[in-house]
Amino acid sequence: MPRDTALTQTAADGPSDEALLARYAGGEALAARLLIERLAPRIFRLARRLLQDSAEAEDVTQEALLRLWQIAPRWVPGGAQPATWLHRVAVNLATDRLRRRRGVGLDTIDEPDDPTPGALDSMIEGDRRRALDEALALLPERQRVAVVLRHLEGLTNPEIGASMGLGVEAVESLTARGKRRLTELLSGRREDLGYER
Amino acid sequence: MNRDSDPMDNAGLDALFAEARAADPAPVSPEFQARLIEAARVALPRRPGWWQRLSAAFSDPWGLPGLAGVGVAGLAGLWIGVAAPGPTADLVSTFWQGAAGVAPAAARLSANESDIFSSSGNELLSLLGDGIE
Repeated sequence: MPRDTALTQTAADGPSDEALLARYAGGEALAARLLIERLAPRIFRLARRLLQDSAEAEDVTQEALLRLWQIAPRWVPGGAQPATWLHRVAVNLATDRLRRRRGVGLDTIDEPDDPTPGALDSMIEGDRRRALDEALALLPERQRVAVVLRHLEGLTNPEIGASMGLGVEAVESLTARGKRRLTELLSGRREDLGYER
Repeated sequence: MNRDSDPMDNAGLDALFAEARAADPAPVSPEFQARLIEAARVALPRRPGWWQRLSAAFSDPWGLPGLAGVGVAGLAGLWIGVAAPGPTADLVSTFWQGAAGVAPAAARLSANESDIFSSSGNELLSLLGDGIE
């Protein structure tokens, strides 16, 4: 049974994403509303996981959707699904933002949404998710994107390859290196996390 | 994940991932969704007016630009038929009155219209020829 991933899941009923996009291209505003309700939560969740910042995730979601509206009149039916296309655009936009962050230096990056200092310390109190986010933030952007898509979004390696414009082997290499780096980052805080040596 | 899990190994890391996946994703706020809908409305492609659609249909029908003239001529004929200024009987009457001056034999035919339509072209021409001579 195929996995129900962020890219393959579709609406149980109602018109397809492609049909809605065609209706939007024909001037039907309601079709856009339905597409937004269907696709925006997924794209926002993906962007937030990649960027760990709600405001930036909103910007990426809005920009990706705007590009979808702009291409709607020229959309070729039977090709890529709108959800897949949108996912790829969002990944590219988020990756660009991650690269710009590297360019301006880590010190200027906004803190995560929760300003609680020392997210790794909070792991001891049960907030392991935030600790994982902090470790993910220290990965090189491509490793980070690959790990998030594979292990948090649940995409298959071919789907990740399509989203990142990479082959499956490159994706496997990125996720493996990313996971190794994550374990190193977390193991460095073993005592802080409350694990016994 | 309990505290006995070790994040240094794959199993511990996979447990962390599972925990993160299971957490409720941040929802899209109603305000943000409203902004998305407004942006889509602003970017909504304009539906072409009837004249643009008509022009497009006849500028390149069936991918054959040469048929554009045929299309326009057809439309013009349709318009003339629908918007004719008056009954055509007056036009026919005017024609036969003019013909009587040139060919009296032909004018006699107008008294019985069925004769005209049952006559062949050659017969009509011979009648006109008689009148002219």
